[in-house]
Amino acid sequence: MHTPARFLLAALTLASPALAAGLAALPTPAAAQERPTLTVYTYSSFVGRYGPGEAIAERFEASCGCDLEWVTADDAGSLLGRLRLEGASTQADVVLGLDMNLAAEARALGLFAPHGVEPGPLDMPVAWEDETFLPYDWGHLAFVYDTTRLDAPPESLEALFTDPDGPRVVLQDPRTSAPGFGLLLWSSAVFGEGLADAWAALTPRVVTFTTGWSEAYGLFLEGEADMVLSYSTSPAYHRSVEDETRYEAARFAEGHYLHVEIAGITQATDAPELARDFLRFMLSDAFQSLIPEGNWMYPARLPEGGLPESFEGLIAPDVAFLFDPERVSAQRRGLIDTWLEATTR
Amino acid sequence: MRRAPGRRLPHPGALVALALAVLAAAAFGALIAAAQDRPSVLALDAYLRRILVFSLAQAALSTVLSLALGAALALALARRRFPGRGLALAALGAAAVMPAIVVVFSVVAVYGRSGWLAVGLEATGLTLRPDPFGWPGILLAHVFLNAALATRVYLDALSRAPAEHWRLAAILGFGARATFAHLDRPILMRETPGLAGLVFLLCFTSFAIVLTLGGGPGKATLEVAIFSALRVELDFARAAMLAGVQLAICLSLTLVLHWAVTRAPVVPTERLPIARPDAGDPRLRRLDRAVLALGGALVLPILAATLEGAAALPRVFDRDLAHAATTSVAIALVSAVLACAMAIALAGAAQAARSRRRGRLAAAYDVLPALVLAIPPFALTAGLFLLLRGRVGPTQAGFLLLPLVNAIGALPFAYRFLAPALATSAERHGRLAALLGLTGLRRIAIVDWPVLRRPLAGAFAFAAALSFGDFGIVALFGGTELRTVPYLLYERLGAYRLDEAAAIGLLLVAAAFALSAFATRMARC
Repeated sequence: MHTPARFLLAALTLASPALAAGLAALPTPAAAQERPTLTVYTYSSFVGRYGPGEAIAERFEASCGCDLEWVTADDAGSLLGRLRLEGASTQADVVLGLDMNLAAEARALGLFAPHGVEPGPLDMPVAWEDETFLPYDWGHLAFVYDTTRLDAPPESLEALFTDPDGPRVVLQDPRTSAPGFGLLLWSSAVFGEGLADAWAALTPRVVTFTTGWSEAYGLFLEGEADMVLSYSTSPAYHRSVEDETRYEAARFAEGHYLHVEIAGITQATDAPELARDFLRFMLSDAFQSLIPEGNWMYPARLPEGGLPESFEGLIAPDVAFLFDPERVSAQRRGLIDTWLEATTR
Repeated sequence: MRRAPGRRLPHPGALVALALAVLAAAAFGALIAAAQDRPSVLALDAYLRRILVFSLAQAALSTVLSLALGAALALALARRRFPGRGLALAALGAAAVMPAIVVVFSVVAVYGRSGWLAVGLEATGLTLRPDPFGWPGILLAHVFLNAALATRVYLDALSRAPAEHWRLAAILGFGARATFAHLDRPILMRETPGLAGLVFLLCFTSFAIVLTLGGGPGKATLEVAIFSALRVELDFARAAMLAGVQLAICLSLTLVLHWAVTRAPVVPTERLPIARPDAGDPRLRRLDRAVLALGGALVLPILAATLEGAAALPRVFDRDLAHAATTSVAIALVSAVLACAMAIALAGAAQAARSRRRGRLAAAYDVLPALVLAIPPFALTAGLFLLLRGRVGPTQAGFLLLPLVNAIGALPFAYRFLAPALATSAERHGRLAALLGLTGLRRIAIVDWPVLRRPLAGAFAFAAALSFGDFGIVALFGGTELRTVPYLLYERLGAYRLDEAAAIGLLLVAAAFALSAFATRMARC
């Protein structure tokens, strides 16, 4: 008889309900809280070890007399999925980290209240008039390449798509990834009726379509592709953190599609004033100055010190595309069907 | 068989089966109910038909290759004793549960355009550029994961062969051919339907591997369509409907497999150390060497590629990791216990049904665990969450759902390890136990435990490792409190820290390796 093993098994079996109960009890916050808590939903890398989340919480808590609690989902898509599941029972006061292309879907959930905040002047390539959402950062979608491996990148989206000898690219699946869908919008703005043919021409040079930005960027850094769909600000990360100057974003003649990250207040919030305070804080220097080298995007309003050195020399496209969210929502299924048809021809 | 007086209590396995069915039905029901106004009629359009055909083809091919290699490796490992054999078994265990994202990056690190193979080819002056994306990558990754799984399951079964058989074989002077035909082949065949069903379903529902290594949307699985319906289009009805299609396909395939092959009974025996008479055959020795070399060539490089993460290891040990590891260990323990308990209950029910000559019911119990794989975890989690919403907070819901959904995900594996052992025990001692009136826990303790102990260690380690490395639903329900180790991996990947993500991937593989080594020692197979 192997008593130790039996004992172990019996102990584990007995302990497992207790463990489960303990796990379920863990997140209950300490009782007798005087300070109100503001619960903000966001995506995971925003509050990770390298994200700006923790510093933002400290700075906000210093002035608000409250506790800021971050709750995370994997990415913007998961964030929206979670909100949809939670519905009116959501504990979120503020949701920060959706992007413009999900704004219509998010609005349609009926979970967001008008923000009621006067944003003041913003430093963005587009005017802002949305009553539900406010932007906190933005960037251009762009193709990033390694200058030591590709010396003549294409100069336009059209050249990238249609030149049969063009570079090999790694992209994200528009069905599962925000930048992936952004490229679909970008290409529809540039190619119009010729969208399907353009994608059919590009497909042979697509190494793969990944589920998310991370996998694609990882494959690019591993040397699997000449270019990767990312953001115009990506080279700033390599310069600042790795002291590495060989990565550049290619500037395309037609212009670039914008990626705008937004935040909104939920209707379910029990602290609407606090939530509005947070949105005002979000557009202040204390928050905005953490964005460039925390989230590697352009701040929605330039902080007093301007942009960090690592952002100097990034491409500055003349034209920025951004479709109206309702139009994006209406076209989503059709664009994806066109894309599927063209890439599986 | 005589019935016990009074009303029979339902077998615990029947309750588990019922609970699983109710859980799945409730989850689907909640999704459809939440679909509200969207009248989503689903016609299987041309694209869906195309990926269905592709999914069936890649899953079938992956299954055949995995099982063939797995059987050959199991035989070679059963016949040979060599230094490092225990490590090789532990490596197989670690390979079988490697998280999909780690497999993808490792396959690329070895076979990619700038991978080890490419560098090696370049050094020899060849200008061939390997390209893993498409069929090669999908098959490599699936065979890597599932041949390792098949080897473990087959080897387990081979080690349960009755000692009398081997004595008889020695007396009859069996050569290598007769040994295979009369001893090994029947054992392998007995495991094949269940294992093939499991591997097929794993490949058929594979998500990240097929999508990323497939190279294009033409190579995808239904799971991708379900995911996008659920998460991006927020079209719950479409998601539930697609999941229904997937379930129906998997159900019919599993049923065909199970009814096509019947299980041969085993004679009563005790297991004693075996000297296999075919171990000395020189041709077999050459064959085994080749098989082991092939297995090593497939498994070792991909496993070794995770070592690239070692450089960044010092940077990932911090408070976040300690916290995440604690959470992950707790969740893994709970879900492994749950998975093993469910598997034993179901296998016991199957055995009870078989002894009452209710073969169909027994087959239904056998099919059920693999079938839960056909339920997309996203859909299951979303549905269950809808049921819980309003009753508990979202983070609490995550803490409840994560172990549960992980346990359900690990159930088919635990069942593969445990059910054959329980069947063996029943066939060997079932009648005697019935005669002596041994039932319930006493029967398990006296009759089943000695046979169950070894596979239980394997099943437990496997389930725990699988759960430890699972990302799946943390994507939705992660939070500052509910942070698991795989969650940290994605968090770092999302912040450009590829090297730290690789280091965390290495830690996941190392944990699986340690668990698997522990199980191998416990089992001494």
